[in-house]
Amino acid sequence: MHSDIFELERNRMNQSCICALWISLVMLPTAGIQAQDTTAPLSADQILKLSDLSRNGWDSYGVRTTIENFEDGTMKDKGLFDVTIKGASKTLVKFLNADVKGQYLLMVDDDMWIYMPNTRKPIRITPLQRLMGNASNGDVARTRYAHDYAATLLKNEVLNGVPCYVLDLKAKSDGATYNRIEYWIAKETNRPKRAEIYLTSGKHYKSIDFDTYEEILGRPLLTQMTITDRLRSGRKTVMRYDSYAPGELPDKYFNKDYLEKLR
Amino acid sequence: MSLRSTTFLVLVCIGVAPAILRSQGLEYRMSIVDEGTLNALNKTTPINYDNCILPQPHRGNIGTSNLFLSVGGLSALLDLSTNTDNLRSPDYTYSFREFSFDYSLSDAVDITIGKKILKWGTGYAFNPTGVVEPQRSPSDPSDRLGQNEGSKIAEIDYFKGRSSLTFVYVNDARVDSWKWHWGVQEVAARAYTFLNGLDLSLVAHYREGDRLEVGTNGSYVLGSNLELHAEFLGKKGSSALYHNIITTDDDQQVFASYPYVPLYRYSNQIFYKFLLGGQFTFDNGLNIAVEYYRNTEGLTTMEWQRWMKFVKFQDGIQQGSVPVSPDLVAPSRFNLLWALQTLSPRGAMQDYCFGREYFAEDRWGIELIEFINAQDFSTVIIPTVSFKLSENFSTYARLALFTGRSDSEFGALFYQKTLNLGIQFQL
Repeated sequence: MHSDIFELERNRMNQSCICALWISLVMLPTAGIQAQDTTAPLSADQILKLSDLSRNGWDSYGVRTTIENFEDGTMKDKGLFDVTIKGASKTLVKFLNADVKGQYLLMVDDDMWIYMPNTRKPIRITPLQRLMGNASNGDVARTRYAHDYAATLLKNEVLNGVPCYVLDLKAKSDGATYNRIEYWIAKETNRPKRAEIYLTSGKHYKSIDFDTYEEILGRPLLTQMTITDRLRSGRKTVMRYDSYAPGELPDKYFNKDYLEKLR
Repeated sequence: MSLRSTTFLVLVCIGVAPAILRSQGLEYRMSIVDEGTLNALNKTTPINYDNCILPQPHRGNIGTSNLFLSVGGLSALLDLSTNTDNLRSPDYTYSFREFSFDYSLSDAVDITIGKKILKWGTGYAFNPTGVVEPQRSPSDPSDRLGQNEGSKIAEIDYFKGRSSLTFVYVNDARVDSWKWHWGVQEVAARAYTFLNGLDLSLVAHYREGDRLEVGTNGSYVLGSNLELHAEFLGKKGSSALYHNIITTDDDQQVFASYPYVPLYRYSNQIFYKFLLGGQFTFDNGLNIAVEYYRNTEGLTTMEWQRWMKFVKFQDGIQQGSVPVSPDLVAPSRFNLLWALQTLSPRGAMQDYCFGREYFAEDRWGIELIEFINAQDFSTVIIPTVSFKLSENFSTYARLALFTGRSDSEFGALFYQKTLNLGIQFQL
């Protein structure tokens, strides 16, 4: 079962909290999805918001994330993380690999800290610092693009036989991982299909293909995406998501000074 | 840590066992490091004539294992080490580097009791506001062999939104011959908040017999690449011990008794420690961190020169180049040993710069650390190359080069260079 952190807190959650949580989890995303049924054209920001639902099934949840790095088709490295998300702006990443065990990454709004057990203190870091391989911290910790980017509709395009909106995303918060993203979203399902990422300098930095979606607890959710490095050829990172688990941790878990207590 | 002290901590933790029973899940991690060291001794140093004053090994080996266990709120970090070199037979030690119990009184309030490593600063190599943290070296900020030990504390934390309040009581209490001995008492408080992107903490610390010290630290991120941080800690007077020689021009003395005194204990002079630093991450992942550190409790250039002249005078006596009565040779040797207490892994003088460049690619990691005395420009340069053999095994080669004039701080140390070759297993 996903997330030891949730297990630590399981005793704390009383029945009424669980009921309230489930009501909000069931009702809120449904309300969002119903917006698709209206005939009025959606704005670019609305499309972006709907596409986020395929990456975030609940307001607060945990997910086990596996990152595999490939070079010229050969897997070089594999990382395991427990990612806990609370609302639009709080993310806690627990590192599970033996060589980084006890390490945590915390992101709250636009700000990030890393806690390493050997240095014993949370260190402020920037979103661009790499988590592993081609995956930036932000690729793991920031999955709600509508929170970080302002969208404009560039064009409509068919991608691999799927009619898509192509959105131009520009960073609107300091916590946004990237400066600019071109984002393909399937018209029929509102699921992200591809992202082309550009640095401030204009350089083409990464491509992200959103490969697989699966039905999980009644919601179609992203289960695999592939990041291709455009600066160094032959390098790819595959990110897999499994053991999605809705749930909520107390706020103190997202306080920088609480990291030393998680260990 | 003594066996009795360990027994005491074990008993404390057994006392809270009922609460532990409510815990769920065992967290563990283990690290075993075997590190071999080759040293090239500094033949021109005036502080260790002919490697006789404090004999240093040419080669050595340290094997250390750290086992961390956490169940519920109970955490223990056990260190088992063996240390051997060409001068000594193997030395086996064990210690609980940490043994503490954390308990959540509510969603907002936590308490901790036991032995724990606390680090409060925002700096990478230096932490002036780390008032209750173990002493560590800027040349090894990540404590690669896991040697830092916790303090015996009782701590209460209050969390509210993006703020927190912490109070810590520290006492190095111990049990000897089944008798309880209180140690020196310390209290510290920290108020943390996050204001418009700024991590801001206010810190206060009082140690029995010393003066109250207060300070602040903060960090701020600009854009996607740049992080800036600063720390400040100040107090009236200082309980630091200074060698008597720094107050006089007469360096040709041999002290008959311990020559260190707290020169500024009752002074109203303000002493402060200040750190300013930042790190920049390039688009390719290269990370560069730089820090400037000023500690007014350190020696001025003139004080250092007085101390060094005194050391050279003693060195001359040991070498026979300074003619003195034979009765003075042995006391002079003691004077050299005492004089070594002026040196500190964190630096004995006032102004330092630190730089670290780090780049990781696939299984390789390359790190370069520079620790520079900004008063005499002597430097310690430490390149490290690491290679990850698998998720569990890694290996590294670390070279430390000590450069500078023979009367400079790092140029006068025991070694010219040291090479560490290590292999690490992690679980």
